[in-house]
Amino acid sequence: MITMASEYDTIVVTGMAAISAAGVGLNPLREALADGVSRLTPVPEEVLGETGHFWGKATSFRAADFMPPLKARKFDRASLFAVVATGMALKDAGLDQAGLDPVRTGIMLGCGFGGIANSEEFLRGYFARGSDGLVPMLFPNTVPNAPASNASIEHGLKGPNVTFVQRFCSAESALFMAMHILEEGRADVMVVGGVDELNPMQMRGFRSMGQLSRYAGGFGEGTGLLVLERADHARSRGARIIAGIGEARTVGLLVPGTEEEGVARLLDGQAAPELVSLSGTASDVAPLVERLPDVPRLETVQLTGRSLAMGGLALVAHLLTLHAGSSGLHLAASPEGPYYAFRLQGGEPVQP
Amino acid sequence: MVRKRIAITGLGVFSAAGKNVPAYRGALLNGRSAVGPVDLFDVSPFSSRIGAQVRDFDPRDHFDRRTADRLSRADQFGVIAAGEALTDSGIAGHYSSYDMGVSMGAGAGGMFQAEFWLQDILAGRRGHPNALRGLLPDRTSTSIATIYNLAGYQGSITTACSSSATAIGWGADLIATGRQKAVLCGGSDSLCVLTYAGFNSLRVVDPEPCAPFSLGRQGISLGEGAAFLVLEGEDDALRRGARIYGYVLGYAIVGEAYHMTAPEPNGTEAARAMAGALRSAGVDAGDVGWVNAHGTGTPLNDVVESKATRQVFGNRAEEVPLISTKALTGHCLGAAGAMEALATIIALNEGIIPQTLNFRGVDPECDLEYCHEGLRRSDATVALSNSFAFGGNITSLVIGT
Repeated sequence: MITMASEYDTIVVTGMAAISAAGVGLNPLREALADGVSRLTPVPEEVLGETGHFWGKATSFRAADFMPPLKARKFDRASLFAVVATGMALKDAGLDQAGLDPVRTGIMLGCGFGGIANSEEFLRGYFARGSDGLVPMLFPNTVPNAPASNASIEHGLKGPNVTFVQRFCSAESALFMAMHILEEGRADVMVVGGVDELNPMQMRGFRSMGQLSRYAGGFGEGTGLLVLERADHARSRGARIIAGIGEARTVGLLVPGTEEEGVARLLDGQAAPELVSLSGTASDVAPLVERLPDVPRLETVQLTGRSLAMGGLALVAHLLTLHAGSSGLHLAASPEGPYYAFRLQGGEPVQP
Repeated sequence: MVRKRIAITGLGVFSAAGKNVPAYRGALLNGRSAVGPVDLFDVSPFSSRIGAQVRDFDPRDHFDRRTADRLSRADQFGVIAAGEALTDSGIAGHYSSYDMGVSMGAGAGGMFQAEFWLQDILAGRRGHPNALRGLLPDRTSTSIATIYNLAGYQGSITTACSSSATAIGWGADLIATGRQKAVLCGGSDSLCVLTYAGFNSLRVVDPEPCAPFSLGRQGISLGEGAAFLVLEGEDDALRRGARIYGYVLGYAIVGEAYHMTAPEPNGTEAARAMAGALRSAGVDAGDVGWVNAHGTGTPLNDVVESKATRQVFGNRAEEVPLISTKALTGHCLGAAGAMEALATIIALNEGIIPQTLNFRGVDPECDLEYCHEGLRRSDATVALSNSFAFGGNITSLVIGT
């Protein structure tokens, strides 16, 4: 079993941000969670040459609302999401640039579909016009760490900076490492979550691979970020504490024949939660779902769409829903692994 | 709390510089560069047409057709190198699968194959879905985990050229904190049009084999391959009688928060990473024998890294060779950190400091010792291995014997 030593008092959430098909900021997501109406929209016919598909595009996001157009042009879409949302999350945590210790503040994001858009555009130019078609400016943002690194540059975050791509658990992978980084004292504040963008060529790729029928609910884009700190650090600066994140567990595979052991490592000994969020393909993992208590289940897939780093949004959605004093469980899975389980506690944890 | 010592008990590599550890060791000891012509795709439009391409590679020598078709070139390299490391460690049967994980750094992943799909689509053809299967860089870790039944931690770090160095540090943490018994750590990456054209478009590729820290250097030589280390707690490794090659003593990761492609010019942030790694390892700068540099051979990197090294080692800086193995292996991007960690542990075991190849003349701005003239004998027991990346992501590993 892989577990984090953290109980609720160790790692706390002090800020959040969201950009999704529901809109920009926490309130539109809160409203979507309250009314439960899907924010997915039909995929325009020109994208796939056919109708009948839905996607969760963050259409209300306009970079120009946050920065001069010339500046916005140097970023890919996923980086724009990350740069803007990092600012929002830090502000929500009461951490402006003056109050932030750069070398003690880091960022860890899952980024599933980031960089793909720039890669495609860069290659398209080359395949169409050879070396004359190369646009050098596009290349740096073809890397999946462009969103986190651009956010670090724009907000002066000089602490640990890591990006993960790990299927539908990309954001949870980042959260898992960030908790460790805080526990080890390698940083005091970590911006953590997931970011994805969705574009027409990706949709064609999904169709080519049969993913549009497999995940007919629709793909999405956007970002969900949390600001994490050790509780002592948050308290020392008088921060508002939104939630505690407790034990974190992961297994990479559920090995045929020993699935029970894998599931046990994720769920055994977990106190009964009052709310469960299911991210990625967790709701399809029968041995996992069968063991869940009969409590409300939260899934953002139907609301804002599915993406590799959707765990960030799913976690924000969970914490927007979880009452102070209630305990939650966040589960994430990918078709061939990995699997994650995080215990959450709404509101300020009781001090031991 | 005393941190558990993390032993390196298995080594594996599949690269242009060597398709297994003995061959890679030979290249390192003999200063045999793998940089040469590239024919994996058309390189004629570029001013630089060379690289460290894995030659004479037929996936069918290693995989059945069905498996080969499902794996990208980067996946294939990774699975092969991981297999060598796991076999070398003799770890099979010693731990539950759920106690063994994989932590790797990835780069372009299956982009090489995906480029065929994109060309098909742009030409109005139907692309073959197999070409997209490995596009995401996480695919290599999942393939390795599935094939070798590593059911514990599974994660892919994708911070460009520092990915696999970070993955090694993080893998060591997973063991040090008791979360895993063993973690296969490393990286895999393959040449593709995207990175080849990309670095060429930025004019940071040397038309000649890269010449780190030399006068007149013009940039990198790209490479490809995979390298893996098996890490275990020293206590467990000793208990099962494993061969211990050395230790991952510590690491640090920092963000420069400066620029997507240009390094912070004073080397301050790189020095912070190196000093932080030594602090995490509990190692005094005076105990470090040499540094395996990021050493790409770009005009800027090599100056900044020299400045950073001087800041860390002060008056002793000239006595701590800053060497680069990139002229040997090519710059393997997502796999670079692992390729260099492997070179570092091999060199420490062999009692050498590797040579920095392709000397073209003394650059007054690179004023340290770079072992340009040849490899050196050394009784050093500790070395640093640096990895810098796009985005200002810097990782420094401390490796010891």
